[in-house]
Amino acid sequence: MTPPTAQPVIPIEKYTLANGMRVILSRDNAVPVITLYMMYDVGARVEEKGRTGFAHLFEHMMFEGSANVPKGMHFKLVESNGGTLNGSTHPDYTDYFEVLPSNKLAVGLWLESDRMRSLAITQENLDNQKEAVKQERRLSVDNRPYSTALVDCWPELAFQNWQNSHSLIGSFEDLNASSVDDVAKFFKTYYAPDNAVLVVVGDIQIPEARKLIEQYFGDIPAQTKPAKPDLTEPPNPTPRTGVYHDAHARVPAVIVGYPAPTRRSPGYYALAMLDVLLTGGPSSRFQLNLIKGKESLIQFQAEIGFPFASTSDYKDPGDYAVFLLHKPNFTPQQIVDQAQEEIAKIQNDGVDPRELARARTFLRSEHITSLQSSLHRAQLLGRYELFDGQPELINTDLKNFLAVTPAQIQDVAKKYLTPERRTVLEIRPAPQENH
Amino acid sequence: MPMAQTINRTKPPETPPIPSFKMPPVHETTLPNGVSVVLVEDARFPLVSMRLSIQAGSKFDPQGLPGLAGIVAGLLTQGTATRSFRDLAEELTSIGATLSGQTSPDIFTLGGSVLAENTAKLLGLMADVALNANFPENEVALRKQNAKQTLRAKRSQTAFLAHEKFDALVFGSHPYSFVSATMESLDRMERNSIVQFRDTFLVPNNALLLLVGQLPPQPEMLKLVHHHFAAWAEKPLPAAPAKDFPGSRRQFVLVDRPGSVQADIYIGRLAATRTDPDFYPLLVGNAILGGGASSRLFLDVREKQSLAYDAHSELDRRQDAGVFTAVTQVRNEEVSRGVEAMLDNLSQMAQAPVTAAELTDFKNYICGEFLISLETQASLADQIDLVKTMGLPNDYLEMFTTRVRSVEPGQIQAAAHKYMNPEDATIVVVGDAAQIAKPLEKFGPVQVQKADS
Repeated sequence: MTPPTAQPVIPIEKYTLANGMRVILSRDNAVPVITLYMMYDVGARVEEKGRTGFAHLFEHMMFEGSANVPKGMHFKLVESNGGTLNGSTHPDYTDYFEVLPSNKLAVGLWLESDRMRSLAITQENLDNQKEAVKQERRLSVDNRPYSTALVDCWPELAFQNWQNSHSLIGSFEDLNASSVDDVAKFFKTYYAPDNAVLVVVGDIQIPEARKLIEQYFGDIPAQTKPAKPDLTEPPNPTPRTGVYHDAHARVPAVIVGYPAPTRRSPGYYALAMLDVLLTGGPSSRFQLNLIKGKESLIQFQAEIGFPFASTSDYKDPGDYAVFLLHKPNFTPQQIVDQAQEEIAKIQNDGVDPRELARARTFLRSEHITSLQSSLHRAQLLGRYELFDGQPELINTDLKNFLAVTPAQIQDVAKKYLTPERRTVLEIRPAPQENH
Repeated sequence: MPMAQTINRTKPPETPPIPSFKMPPVHETTLPNGVSVVLVEDARFPLVSMRLSIQAGSKFDPQGLPGLAGIVAGLLTQGTATRSFRDLAEELTSIGATLSGQTSPDIFTLGGSVLAENTAKLLGLMADVALNANFPENEVALRKQNAKQTLRAKRSQTAFLAHEKFDALVFGSHPYSFVSATMESLDRMERNSIVQFRDTFLVPNNALLLLVGQLPPQPEMLKLVHHHFAAWAEKPLPAAPAKDFPGSRRQFVLVDRPGSVQADIYIGRLAATRTDPDFYPLLVGNAILGGGASSRLFLDVREKQSLAYDAHSELDRRQDAGVFTAVTQVRNEEVSRGVEAMLDNLSQMAQAPVTAAELTDFKNYICGEFLISLETQASLADQIDLVKTMGLPNDYLEMFTTRVRSVEPGQIQAAAHKYMNPEDATIVVVGDAAQIAKPLEKFGPVQVQKADS
């Protein structure tokens, strides 16, 4: 038999510009493609009361043009080269990427540096984007089944601290109240080079890339970093339940969650392995016992950091939660009990070593498969830098997951996934009369 | 190239030309029973992607049983003579693998990937599933039930109704004319017909086995392939459906969907396949007309005339026929302006050559998208599979960007004249006939048909 192959080593060159911007380069000349990935250390959880949705509104503003890039050109330049791009707002960071053929490295750097240096913050652009955000909310949250429950109701139910529980998309009221001055201040404070990580992965030559990055970003001035808000949750969680009547849902669902351990603590790794046993791959317990077996579930999805994050960008405080879409002939309580029963089996009987061996192989395979995409490599490098200051964890962190023992999994299940610490949100279909 | 110390930030930087793609070495052989074997070394990651591709896509569905190939593909991995569904699921997880069946109009594919160290094991599972699937009655019943649910959901989508009618019109009596199973065909699919399809088409002389990745040394790899696939018995194959397609002519069908607040507009006809000399000019012309947010349809129909949120054009590239389609959705009140705007843009493609800027931009767009699509091993495997199963030249992938870049404006104009001419376009509109039939009369005779429910 062939021995297990080691995971490929992702090369990393990390340095910091004089203005404080962190840069990570990872060269891979196999395919003529590059990913530029820009992370800003600002997310929805830093927002102040009366300013909800600001991080997200700002993400929109970043595509409105800058001193040398007219409105629309950012999209046009990337798309006309066959590339893809996007930006997204998360609880703990905001990120932007461009995937391009590798001859277009300078174009990507020009676009990202110009908006960091000179974003066009005008009343007209702000008004446009307030409307765009509202439209996005109408289309992809208010008008879509399960979205409001996930995006707004779940955080409100699961967290006590307002910094964690408020809406990431924000309220129309707060959006309307924001002024050009607010936006300019937010930009100056958070979209500074010393609050950013730039990752470039793919078909580059290191000296040329370093030179271009220095030329495009080197003279953007640093800013004073603001203090981070207190995100602490009360120490002893209590059971919480909620019901959301969803006008767009046709099929009932339940979200079951529990406050999760600190990022990269032993409990975090154990919980991630427990999650693979419960919900990972074709032979997970939920798949075999609930989708087949009891035939009660239609679909499920679990994350550490639910609903906005996953294992690699989870930052505490946060929940391990699972979304369970179920057949209507089961009550929500039956579904919660079935999920809890699967957890109880592990609490009481522990973990079969063969099952854990399967889970380890599954995780290793998923990890290596995901590394093929330069965008995913860039995201992992950026996350390990921003959260842990150690991009090299992309090459070493897997072994922390694989080292988890059956006893640790049983312990984390007993300590964290108990009914006493559980939050449950029922989502009931509530069809409107007129549809 | 020396670079000035200070850079000009006022305009996009000059960049070198788009790089080309270098194909890894390909080794090909054929087993005595007829299985074509293609091995491609891709050493970037310790993974192997596998495809068992069979000339048994949905165009081979027997008469009266559209959707059968797709049902067979889904059921292959639900149990074999020696492995239950649970056994298969656990074995796949334990070797870090995926394996699933799917169909396109032309090809039936059993595909998966695995950690390189377990290549032999996935190959064994793939062979077991391809040769020995036992189609348990309960899994057959479940699959049919789920397919009906999916079909019900699809029938509520206007895009599905439009495709269904459009394909029926342009493909005529060829089996390409079916876009999916029907409620009746699902009812008629007995376990017998499923087994019979497998026994008829899943035979070695109809199959291509492709392995891409960190492979064992070639002699060892070939020995494994022999071990798992040599016993597969060769059989005579039924003839492929005749390539009989109706000639293109102007026809206009309105599919009545009472209560629709918008009209879905599909305009197009049969077009060049990948091996046709018109293919590359048509590919570039199609992109200029309707590929992405800088295309003519998007800029005119959406941005300038504000008639629609989306307007684009597509090129469906099947083995025996291509299909060109321009698509948009407009509010009922705008239906006539919508059709007119689409037809105008189609006509213009034939009337004047495209501009130099359009030509450069859209060649870059097509080439860049192509290079990015080769990034992962799975996508590389899909592209090589395509070359082999569609009978494309061996240099197709390496020469793709060169061929795109050599297209001239005159060729695009000629291709547009041939394939984008409104005079012989099939037009399908899905919408509320009570609201939109009248305004559509100005385009000539319109046949109003009911949407099946």
